[in-house]
Amino acid sequence: MTDLLPVTAMGDSAPRSESFGPLTLSENAGLALASLALRQGQDAPTPFGLTLPDVARAVTSGELGAFWTGRGQWMIEAEGKAESDFAAALKAEAPGCSVTEQTDGFVVFEVVSEAGTAPLEALMSKLVNIDPKTLGPGCCTRTGLEHMTVFLVRRSETRLAVIGMRSLAGSLWHALSQAAHRLEY
Amino acid sequence: MTRLNGGLIDRTRPLNFTFNGKAYRGFEGDTLASALLANGVRLMGRSFKYHRPRGVIAAGSEEPNALVELREGARQEPNTRATVAELYEGLSARSQNHVGPLHRDLMAVNDLASPFFAAGFYYKTFMWPKAFWEKLYEPAIRKAAGLGSLSMLPDPDAYDRGFLHCDLLVIGGGAAGLSAALTAGRAGAQVVLADEDFRLGGRLLMESDLLNGAPASDWVETVRAELESLPNVRIMTRTTVFGVYDHGVFGAVERVADHLATPGDKVRQTLWRITAKRAVLAAGATERHIPFADNDRPGIMLAGALRAYANRWAALPVADAGDAVAIFTNGDDGHRTACDLLAKGAKVLGVIDTRADAVAQGDYRVFAGAQVTGSKGRLGLTQIEITQGGHSSWHAVGALGVAGGWNPNLHLTSHHRGRPHWDESLLAFVPGQGGPQGLIAAGAAAGKGGTAEALADGKRAAQAALSDLEIAAPEIMLPDAADTPSAQQAFWHVPGKKRAWVDFQNDVTVKDVKLAHQENMRPVEHLKRWTTLGMATDQGKTSNISALAVMAELTGKTIPETGTTIFRPPYTPVSLSVLGGGDTGQHFRPHRLTPTHDWAKAQGAEFVEVGQWMRAQYFPQPGETHWRQSVDREALAVRSAVGLCDVTTLGKVDVQGADAGEFLNRLYANMMGTLKVGMVRYGLMLREDGHAYDDGTCARLGEDHYVVTTTTANAGLVYRQMEFARQCLWPELDVQLISTTDAWAQIAVAGPKSRELLSRIVDGFDLSNEAFPFMACASLTICNGLRARLFRISFSGELAYEIAVPARYGHALMQRLMEQGADLGVTPYGTETLGVLRIEKGHAAGAELNGQTTAQMLGLGRMVSQKKDGIGAVMSRREGLDADRRRLVGLKSVSPQEQVAAGSHLFTEGAAQTMQTDQGWVTSSCYSPHLQGYIALAYLEDGDKRLGEIVTAANPLEGRELRAEVVSAHFVDPEGGRLRD
Repeated sequence: MTDLLPVTAMGDSAPRSESFGPLTLSENAGLALASLALRQGQDAPTPFGLTLPDVARAVTSGELGAFWTGRGQWMIEAEGKAESDFAAALKAEAPGCSVTEQTDGFVVFEVVSEAGTAPLEALMSKLVNIDPKTLGPGCCTRTGLEHMTVFLVRRSETRLAVIGMRSLAGSLWHALSQAAHRLEY
Repeated sequence: MTRLNGGLIDRTRPLNFTFNGKAYRGFEGDTLASALLANGVRLMGRSFKYHRPRGVIAAGSEEPNALVELREGARQEPNTRATVAELYEGLSARSQNHVGPLHRDLMAVNDLASPFFAAGFYYKTFMWPKAFWEKLYEPAIRKAAGLGSLSMLPDPDAYDRGFLHCDLLVIGGGAAGLSAALTAGRAGAQVVLADEDFRLGGRLLMESDLLNGAPASDWVETVRAELESLPNVRIMTRTTVFGVYDHGVFGAVERVADHLATPGDKVRQTLWRITAKRAVLAAGATERHIPFADNDRPGIMLAGALRAYANRWAALPVADAGDAVAIFTNGDDGHRTACDLLAKGAKVLGVIDTRADAVAQGDYRVFAGAQVTGSKGRLGLTQIEITQGGHSSWHAVGALGVAGGWNPNLHLTSHHRGRPHWDESLLAFVPGQGGPQGLIAAGAAAGKGGTAEALADGKRAAQAALSDLEIAAPEIMLPDAADTPSAQQAFWHVPGKKRAWVDFQNDVTVKDVKLAHQENMRPVEHLKRWTTLGMATDQGKTSNISALAVMAELTGKTIPETGTTIFRPPYTPVSLSVLGGGDTGQHFRPHRLTPTHDWAKAQGAEFVEVGQWMRAQYFPQPGETHWRQSVDREALAVRSAVGLCDVTTLGKVDVQGADAGEFLNRLYANMMGTLKVGMVRYGLMLREDGHAYDDGTCARLGEDHYVVTTTTANAGLVYRQMEFARQCLWPELDVQLISTTDAWAQIAVAGPKSRELLSRIVDGFDLSNEAFPFMACASLTICNGLRARLFRISFSGELAYEIAVPARYGHALMQRLMEQGADLGVTPYGTETLGVLRIEKGHAAGAELNGQTTAQMLGLGRMVSQKKDGIGAVMSRREGLDADRRRLVGLKSVSPQEQVAAGSHLFTEGAAQTMQTDQGWVTSSCYSPHLQGYIALAYLEDGDKRLGEIVTAANPLEGRELRAEVVSAHFVDPEGGRLRD
């Protein structure tokens, strides 16, 4: 176990979390990510028992999840496994696939609404040019947000993960929190 | 006070405001214009060119005249239409475009000189003497131009942007818009209903028509309540849809807080991008006037506006409540105004109708077959001249409504070059073919302006749109309504010798149109530009068709033969602030921060923007007063001990797959597939045209696993190029790509003591030259088990490494390296020192890879492999590119303390300095603390054969030139021994 202390994408020792009316934004620093891409002619594996989802879809199973990122490509998620070598574990589950460690490539902000879908969809309408009706639970997409590229994973009616580049964490937080704050007025 | 009874104002909520410093009182529901009129204020501004006294013409966003400066201080907003400025407590407005008080504008002298200011005056007058233009004419014209003034202070308010998606966008909330929204809303379609007014209803609020036997506002209220209750309908008042763009995208501005004194925590406005599968344009119609002599006095307005002020705002635009009102019309609509005014208790002189057979529709006098031929009143209308049967007589009136017919607001239908179509029965252009797909005009915007027909047409349009979308539309019951008579005569202007205004905002008269005809400026586009007709904030909404009719009369053609105007976005003015949207200042654009950003900040580093990245530029130490002191210190420390620099920003692309080696062979100019596992190779990429594109290293981590690094600036572009190659050029190759730039914190550890420092943090890894030679790479652990990657590569020319750890540990690793290297003299360095070190070593960077250079010029011609093909390889051998004799060289200033400026051009000493004798240019330059003098890199003709020659480096922009010696680009350790030790 290394004696170096990690910091979050926001540069803090603990994940950032803040509420704006019914919306709560939380940095999910514990989520491990690894990309999985099929080699030519390869069939999709079922790592950790996950059936890899179809185009623009996401699946979860317990602490694990996967969302589609491109043709024959997925991002595999593991809650609370950021400190482990998750890419190595995934590689063992999907031999022959191209697996790349991505945990620290991204920052993950979970947006949760305590008042149904409306606040979440109102927030989306201020940030991304995506019709919330087409991004229902179990859907994902990649889009632009304030000149940043993000993955959106609709985890449930009231929960949306916004996954952006780690180096842009501060700007992404600013965009999300400002939009959420403005919805309060 | 000229306030009438009734109206849709809340008299229990008085609002105090000021105009030109004088206090007035209006009510909630008033606009600034209605409140001023109700206070007997008719004079609201001065005209653009002649500084004529002007008042309100219209009651909506088409207003050309009543432009005011609203608010104070940084929020001061020029050219605001008083007709759409919603009254709020404490509103402060001022008239504009006058010198001295409004009622005694010194610039009114222009009106006396009007014969000289006719259309085309500028074009002809300011042609000579030529020398006068810049110093005299232009400054004078600029000073005279414009109406309002800017505060010159930054906008203090926040603006927002947003995105909406719907099945049906309904533009306009009048009779047609409400019936369309109701039809689609009840069908369950996703509906956005936008209206520029702060209250739904459109003209229904301004007319006295009954719906289901009750005031129309009752029905509007019922519909509004139902629409608000539907979860699939979004009502957006104070929202103007200003443009149609490709793929069903509409631009709209929501004025979120314009009706408040200050926005407080709200944003001022929001720019919405609305993606609609279908849209109904129910934007209504704009009335046109009939130009006659002196028709621009305050108190003369559109008859429909006169009616609107009376019905909706209970205001009469007369100076005194007892003043009579007259109507000048060419059709039935003028009589409608007369009836409404009578019903509101106004004194009506009568209706002057150009039609000989006109009859009264109520208890008022009709001047049939008559015309208004003149007006009097210095600052506001007092009299009109009526000419009937050859006899003229003057009549005292306080206001005159002019009804010249209605033009459908078809603007948005022509945003995709849709051409309006002339409807002779309506005497108006109606939406034609070729407009935006899926946009259906309805109601008055489609020429169906009667209340009953507008209601029915809105329903029809919505049903058509829903049918397209395969959404079942229910039948809705429309309220009982009637269509009022709307017969009219084609009467466009009153002939006469005096000035008759066509375009009030730009002071364009019938005479100007005639002059344009005389000067052969007859096509409408020429007419517009010659006379300035239809420009500025109103874009000719009340004037274009009248001007076209006058031109048609002069040319003897019909109006459609003469031409038409089509419209561009925006429909009404849109502020630059809301178009900018989002943030200003620090958050204007996103910033990428390195994993050691906070650490560097704590060390007092100065930062520099490199693309989106914020990079530490240098680290000032106490006592250093100039950046050069810091950089010289940092550079010397690297060459003598060890330095640390965050190089995370370099692009890193993970390349895997059975054909990864072959893919890289094709991507790079040089061979990459032969690279051994555990080794790194410098690589050069070419563009398709053979020029150098990007350079960096490629590390082979496994049999089918590589990591490509790119320059910081090109990281995104190269990754995109690689994806293009993978997906489009060579889909047959088994290759998988993904960026890992952000995933790894990468720190350069450079200097003769770098091995010593690293040995203190690696977990038993053998760093000896034998075990881990120059250009080796490995995965390892450091600091008791942290996964890391180590690359023995050097940009500085020293013994150097780059160590990468998961980004979350970058901060801690930098701290650890600083702690562990304290006794070794470890020094953090920034991009300035990085630049000095690489120039001293002769390494190319962005300045050398500027898109105009070739591998040969870089001295890397032999890297372009002959044994294989690669992107740009063939084109790099083409004649012209291959023959380029410029080569990268070093330059040393003959006077070491004189800087060779980057960008200087090189000439043979003593030669003339011309384009023809130009021998190259200086790409990068710096002070070398190592050599204690200024050095530079440059491209020079036959540079590799001219070592030792003195050349001239000319900097004509600063009037400088100096002598420089041509030397090898490798100022430091040309043999490369230090790298390999």
